[in-house]
Amino acid sequence: MIYLLLAHEFLKIGLFSFGGGYATIPFLYDISVKYGWYTIKELTNMTAVASITPGPVGINVATYAGLSSAGIMGALIATISEVIPSFVLVIIVSKLLRKFSDNFYVKSLLTVLKPISCALLVAVAVGLLRPEVKDIKGIILMAVLLLFSIKGKKDPSFYILIGGVAGIINTIL
Amino acid sequence: MSKTSLLKLYFIFLKIGAILLGGGYVILPILKAELCEKRKLLNESELIDYFALSQSLPGIVAANISMFTGYKIKGKMGAIAALMGIITVPFISIIILASVLNLVVDNKYIVGMFWGVGIAVIALIILTACEVWQKTERDLFFNIIFLSALITLVIFELSPVDVIIIFSVIGVLTKSIFRRRGVK
Repeated sequence: MIYLLLAHEFLKIGLFSFGGGYATIPFLYDISVKYGWYTIKELTNMTAVASITPGPVGINVATYAGLSSAGIMGALIATISEVIPSFVLVIIVSKLLRKFSDNFYVKSLLTVLKPISCALLVAVAVGLLRPEVKDIKGIILMAVLLLFSIKGKKDPSFYILIGGVAGIINTIL
Repeated sequence: MSKTSLLKLYFIFLKIGAILLGGGYVILPILKAELCEKRKLLNESELIDYFALSQSLPGIVAANISMFTGYKIKGKMGAIAALMGIITVPFISIIILASVLNLVVDNKYIVGMFWGVGIAVIALIILTACEVWQKTERDLFFNIIFLSALITLVIFELSPVDVIIIFSVIGVLTKSIFRRRGVK
């Protein structure tokens, strides 16, 4: 039964992949080798499509891999299976946080998570900055976008729209 | 718990899923704008906690943070509504795009567009980091944990999960030692 196998494989991915979408790629590679539902070439294409489609890359790739393996039903099973393990974990962690919100250790943990979160954010920005903003055009676009923020623009979709339009204009020029 | 209906929550996350271009991290600025600033369903401090928690759990970070916020707003059903909302548009667009795959991947305008979107995403992450920094109360403890975590991430290139676990343990231990000694 391909549906059961799909569910099994994607539950495993959901439980063992740490660090977001791209961390699922090695697992998907394994699946390709093990079952031959899709080729490695197709997997490369999936990753490219996933990164230019709206939504989290990990979800997109799961949907795509499920679709190539077993049609729309397969897409549905792969996507849902991938998020079930973290759904269970999120509910458990949320409940524990609520129940022990007065506990000293829980309070300390939440205090500690703030600076760690800030560090993660800055690290993500630094990590992306190096490969993405590599020429003068990139720096100018970045500067323009940051200037908008000084003018008080808040809506994230505004920035994404400006970025996309600037990208298309850049291709035409 | 908030009075927002499950259906409304679903549509809020459906919209977020639709504008989620350029990878999962951009969900943080979007959630901040949509849930904290526009609808006041969540405060920023909670959102920042969920960001770290989402990265320390397995699975897709963007899905995890959606479920955390959904749970906070409307309980277990809220988590399900948020999750279903966030995956609806991506799911449908993959199903549709799969058949015209090669046209999309090789189209130079689309590739060009995503160059710009990529830069916008970084700008958003930088802005979010700045705002979080300004709005958080920082003491010596905060600064020390922040700097050491950042150095470990950027220079020693440890994975986020490792950094979260290591510094959570160090931080909580330090706090409990201070408490035993009677220092605030």
